[in-house]
Amino acid sequence: MDLGFFAQYLINGLVQGITYALVAVGFTLFFGVLDVIKFSHGDVLMLGAFTALAVFLGLDQLASPAWLSLIIMLCIGILAMGLLGALLCKFLVLPLKESPPLNTLLITLMFGSVIREAVRLFFPNGSNPKPFPALLPEASINWGNLNLRLDSVILIITGALAIVVTHLLIQKTRIGLAIRAVAQDEETARLMGIDFKKTVLVTFALGSGLAALSGISTGLYYQEINFSMGLMLGVIGFSAAVVGGLGSIYGAIVGGLLFAFLQTLGAIWFSVPAYKDVFAFAVIIILMAWRPTGLLADRSAERV
Amino acid sequence: MRQTVLQTKKLTVSFGGLKALNGLDVQLYEGEFLGLIGPNGSGKTTFFNALTGIYRPAAGSVLLHGNDITGAPPNKVYAYGITRTFQRLRLATSLSVLDNLIIGNQRNLNLGLWHNIFNRKSFKRQLQEQIQISEELLSRFSRDLAVHLFKPVSSLSMIDRRRVEVCRALISEPNILLLDEPSAGMTPDETRALMDELQDWRVKYPSLSIILIEHEMELINKVSDRCVVLNYGEKIAEGRYSEVSMEPGVRAAYLGED
Amino acid sequence: MATNRVVGRPFCGTRVITMPDFKTKLAILLGVALSVVVLYGFLYLEREWEIGALLVMVPLGVYFLRRTNALTYYQHAAREMPRFTWISFVLGAVVLIMLLRHDDFALLMLTTVLLYATVSLGLTIQFGFVGVVNFSAVAFFGIGAYSMAALNQHFVFLPDLLIIFFSGAISALLGALLILPILRTRGHYAALITIAFGILFRTFLEVNDVLGGPQGLKVPALEMFGWNFGNSFPSEMGGGSFYVAYAIVALVLVAIVYLITRLIESSWLGLNMDSVRLDEVASAAFGINGPRWKIAAFMLGNCFAGLAGAVYAAMYGFIAPANFNLSDSLLLVSIVLLGGIGNAVAVIPAAFLIVVLPEKFQVIQEYRLLLFGIVVILILRFRPSGLMPRGLRQYFAGRFG
Ligand SMILES: Nc1ncnc2c1ncn2[C@@H]1O[C@H](COP(=O)(O)OP(=O)(O)O)[C@@H](O)[C@H]1O
Ligand SMILES: [Mg+2]
Repeated sequence: MDLGFFAQYLINGLVQGITYALVAVGFTLFFGVLDVIKFSHGDVLMLGAFTALAVFLGLDQLASPAWLSLIIMLCIGILAMGLLGALLCKFLVLPLKESPPLNTLLITLMFGSVIREAVRLFFPNGSNPKPFPALLPEASINWGNLNLRLDSVILIITGALAIVVTHLLIQKTRIGLAIRAVAQDEETARLMGIDFKKTVLVTFALGSGLAALSGISTGLYYQEINFSMGLMLGVIGFSAAVVGGLGSIYGAIVGGLLFAFLQTLGAIWFSVPAYKDVFAFAVIIILMAWRPTGLLADRSAERV
Repeated sequence: MRQTVLQTKKLTVSFGGLKALNGLDVQLYEGEFLGLIGPNGSGKTTFFNALTGIYRPAAGSVLLHGNDITGAPPNKVYAYGITRTFQRLRLATSLSVLDNLIIGNQRNLNLGLWHNIFNRKSFKRQLQEQIQISEELLSRFSRDLAVHLFKPVSSLSMIDRRRVEVCRALISEPNILLLDEPSAGMTPDETRALMDELQDWRVKYPSLSIILIEHEMELINKVSDRCVVLNYGEKIAEGRYSEVSMEPGVRAAYLGED
Repeated sequence: MATNRVVGRPFCGTRVITMPDFKTKLAILLGVALSVVVLYGFLYLEREWEIGALLVMVPLGVYFLRRTNALTYYQHAAREMPRFTWISFVLGAVVLIMLLRHDDFALLMLTTVLLYATVSLGLTIQFGFVGVVNFSAVAFFGIGAYSMAALNQHFVFLPDLLIIFFSGAISALLGALLILPILRTRGHYAALITIAFGILFRTFLEVNDVLGGPQGLKVPALEMFGWNFGNSFPSEMGGGSFYVAYAIVALVLVAIVYLITRLIESSWLGLNMDSVRLDEVASAAFGINGPRWKIAAFMLGNCFAGLAGAVYAAMYGFIAPANFNLSDSLLLVSIVLLGGIGNAVAVIPAAFLIVVLPEKFQVIQEYRLLLFGIVVILILRFRPSGLMPRGLRQYFAGRFG
């Protein structure tokens, strides 16, 4: 294979990988503060994309310029999903804090299913794929076999930037300190006077906002969205978070990129495109059997 | 010379950077009642967890009758005749008292498919046997408790749950019994009753060796033959309580704590 | 002869309730008769207002029975004579099938209910007893269905009964692939593994030409005991749709699987499984080998799913990847949850509600996944032990304590 092809795969893989990493960061955040998995994460992502699409359709009537539309779509999409995440946490996740973990898992799984069905049934013509507007500049450069699209570059940079900002938020701000304290030890955090509930809600809002961002990015990249896109992205994001090591942001990034890498490898090896996912998941399942706590995280033994 | 049943050599357990146990040498003799004391966080519970295979030692070894059992999984350790209670009770609270005790008697149960599923007559016989054993055991510790044999553990008081936890560890007639603060939350009278019962049990099974973790020094003084003092995962003293309690290192550890 | 049966055993002065034998049996038979009538109504009635009226009457009836203590009396009776109860319900179901023998659609629904209940019993063992999550029940159901199709195609000489058993076995064995990752991980991680497996399974079917790709496979009707299941019953035998035979097979299947589930539950096996679910660390400290019970439960549950899948495939005569979605797995989980996790009896009424209601209300049909999602969320939030919560463990007839 020549260098151009290689670079092409690399760029495509990076766009994918960053999207997965964004989703995985959400899983990692939720798990960090509350030891729960929010299985509706993928569907929140999808709803974020659909919200943005609805906003676009509304703005289209007003003939707003592309860049302005995009900014408004991002803002509304992210804020709305952040709010939804906080509400989900307040009304469905926190009340189940003392019940078996299976119940939390199920309730969020079902919540995802409700979102999915609601979009399918109530978004106009929701059961069919929807075209998503191409709002990013369409310029591209050709270098031999490499076709470098400007939108890919923008998406990679935006995604990476979002992760870096999240990381800084957690490391450098007061609320970030609270999040880290709660993730370390809930009891101690409470004793230190940290508002546990508020911290958890903010974390859920933050993670869900990131999901909306990755949903919109996916829409911009493929220029198409559908009601069931969240299912696969959610499962992939979760796999990425788990393989990297739940609770670690670096783990989420590594996991996201790794998954995209595996898919790319699968796409090169197998002629049938669908096998790339089969391959990637099979490797993930094996990795999980080999390293149950993930590649990076080092969670200590359960206290007895 | 009494026979050593259990011995640890340079036993070390670490969590990340923290060495919860650091090169611990402990011997337990047959029929002995050993007290294990030390300030909070000194590694007492961790010692039990390492013995019973719940935590894996980073270094050192555990010898049972001279055989190396280091790193054996918990179910093996139980099969060797070592049972324990947990500091934070770990009973199956939605199951009945009887069921919890039967779980403790696992090694005397027939788990064969034929016995359990098809030959229900022989299963019933074993069930009745277990009911009888459980009832006798419970009534040794508390007459009232035996009445609640078929009640879920969640309906019992904290004190009764602790008794059930001790019974669960005793029902299989172990050789070594590890008690992790069994009397926490009990009044002095209740504690005394529990200890008297344990002493009775020792009369009946003279080869049983017990390690008791306990905060009440009076109690340790009364019941233990010997005690080991831990601090920061290391043994700082060993001997009869009356001797050990005089040692300056021990007093410092406790004063520093309080 | 009114011999008296001791319901509560006189341990340590526990209260002794005695019930005459025949009254006990009468209570059970009345319960069966009432269930048959209600279920017949559900399956037979077609107009939405009729079903709606029935739906209003059932909770009212249950409330009334509870107020008059009839329900408690019945529960005592069923606990006291489980075998008699079991036989009566099986016979009641045969009567129900006979009553509906000309109604293709009702029989199809009834059979589907019975098969879903079979799968749900597998899930009951998996996460009701031992606590291993499985969000790919429908994949194992599908493995059974595809095994049925493929074995029938390539090994024509095999008797169908054997093929059904093989399908269950294949399902259990393929499930064994997941055992290592599931054992090595905990809770959420295991959930991910099964979800990923379900998605993989579907993708695999879609791209695999040998198994018919997206178009799926045709499955010939069963042939067992000298009877071709594709034939309707001739009028000299009383007449009846060909579905009658499938309904009977499904009934036998669910009855046996139910019996196995209950026997496991009421033995040391079930005790150990419960113990592993409730506290794996403490269980291990008392010699219980957690992984061993998880493996046993996981394989057995998947075997049940495979058996049900095989019968399902033969009955529908046609299977395609689209029949085996994650949402169907969620539907099965909803059945277990709605009934009451770990309560084997409860899966049957729950399967009824979840399978039959959407078929009867066309309005619901379109919205059914949405509605079930909401129902399950409400149950988890406000009544996590389900409609019929699991009681204390019981080893033998009669009440201990
Ligand atoms: N699972 C664990 N993970 C991390 N640290 C642990 C764990 N278990 C115990 N520790 C640490 O080991 C030390 C000893 O704890 P422990 O044995 O419970 O003390 P003790 O029983 O003497 O009060 C403590 O500092 C505790 O924080
Ligand atoms: Mg302790």
